Amino acid sequence: MIDNFSIGLTHGLMLLAALLILLRPELDKEEPPKPMPKPKAWRGRDGGDA
Amino acid sequence: MRDLVFVAFLVALFAAGLKRPFLFVLAYVYIDIVAPQRLTYMLLNTVPISLIAVSLAVGAWLLVDDKRDARFAPRQFLMVILMLYCWVTTTQADFPIEAAEKWSWVWKALAFAIFLPLTLRTRLRIESLGLFMVLSAATIIIVGGIKTVGSGGGYGGLNLMVTNNTGLYESSIISCVAIAIIPLILFLMRHGTIFPMDWRVKIFAYALCFACLLMPIGTEARTGLICVGVLGVLMLRHTKRRFLYLTMAGVLAVSAVPFLPSSFSERMDTIKNYKADSSASTRIEVWKWTWEYVKEHPFGGGFNAYLQNKIRYETVSVDEAGGVATQEETLILDKARAYHSAYFEMLGEQGFPGLFIWLAIQGIGLFRMEAVRRKYLHHADEGERWIGNLAEALQHGQIIYLVGALFVGIAFQPFIFMLLGMQIGLDTYAKRRSAEAAWRPMNEALPAPA
Repeated sequence: MIDNFSIGLTHGLMLLAALLILLRPELDKEEPPKPMPKPKAWRGRDGGDA
Repeated sequence: MRDLVFVAFLVALFAAGLKRPFLFVLAYVYIDIVAPQRLTYMLLNTVPISLIAVSLAVGAWLLVDDKRDARFAPRQFLMVILMLYCWVTTTQADFPIEAAEKWSWVWKALAFAIFLPLTLRTRLRIESLGLFMVLSAATIIIVGGIKTVGSGGGYGGLNLMVTNNTGLYESSIISCVAIAIIPLILFLMRHGTIFPMDWRVKIFAYALCFACLLMPIGTEARTGLICVGVLGVLMLRHTKRRFLYLTMAGVLAVSAVPFLPSSFSERMDTIKNYKADSSASTRIEVWKWTWEYVKEHPFGGGFNAYLQNKIRYETVSVDEAGGVATQEETLILDKARAYHSAYFEMLGEQGFPGLFIWLAIQGIGLFRMEAVRRKYLHHADEGERWIGNLAEALQHGQIIYLVGALFVGIAFQPFIFMLLGMQIGLDTYAKRRSAEAAWRPMNEALPAPA
């Protein structure tokens, strides 16, 4: 009874997770990160928001 | 009936793998941890599902996965060297048959840990690996947790679905691993994207952590209690109100004592009265024997070399009755006692070179996770901070394991090697993201054509 409850719960969650993972394209390819903020010295020179 | 559930589950996972091959990797992780073939009586135990899953995972990676940014980290090289070295010691082993038996699963654990980071190219892959590892271990932990609440467990008496005491189903191993994955469970609760945090996720995660904490009580494995202590100290690291945390932890610990089964308190008492406890005394004697053995055999005796040990020692127990304390000494003779420590297991079986390679793999892991953690925990881009949080969770899990491993022979535990594989995957992923982010401003910095 306890065994079956545990198996049912975790396997159900893994199945749901597998389904949710399948639906997401970023599993195989994801967006590149945002560019790093420019160093302060650069901002001052090119008249940015510093 | 249960057989059919497992078969249906595996068929679904493999079918998902046909659409997205990374699911084959998750299927192997699941099979390796839960070992569904051991929970059934027919169907599955006649099919080599583990072999099928790993062939599909590696085959799909070779044939269709993007390998442009697959990198080999120094730790993967070390694992290759360790694997080759173990193969050599197996051929020279003191007990060739027994050594070959252990080698048959050790090389698989190492090979999978070497392969795993190559597949971990995206955040979702890293997260889904963590989720499958946690949910697979949860299959055993939830059973243990509920049975402990219901019956109080007992050393060797907690029925974790199978009785053959292998893999995570062994009581000392599960009580160490259960505590080691708590930081990972908390990470998935807070930063997971597959199951984003809501009240259901919170309830499940906290209930699972509670079940994990019950494992050392249910199995009465003393190592687990030490692991809980280490976890408590590690959690102090990012607790804002430390005094309140310490007070709460103290109150909780004291108030839990009356609810513990008396056999548990008695067994835990042996930590301080170790001289009277034959199991603790045996360990010390085995460690002494191992040290003497490697002085003569610096390259180790191959897997399961402990089978040749013969030890004799005395236990000292003090009995106080009627105000008079009598000391009783008992002579105990023993042989073929296991190492009961991953460090001595490495030393005795693989000698000094093996121990050093193993320590290097572990040490680099701690160091790299600390570096990644520091870099990303307060990263300028909030979207990247999870990398720091995961590095911290994996580092804490490893520290708990390394302390637990002082008293349990789990040097090659496949679950832990998966955790190491995940660390390497996260590290190389972070390096690549960092390089991509640093590269882009160069383009943007160029003045727009007039």
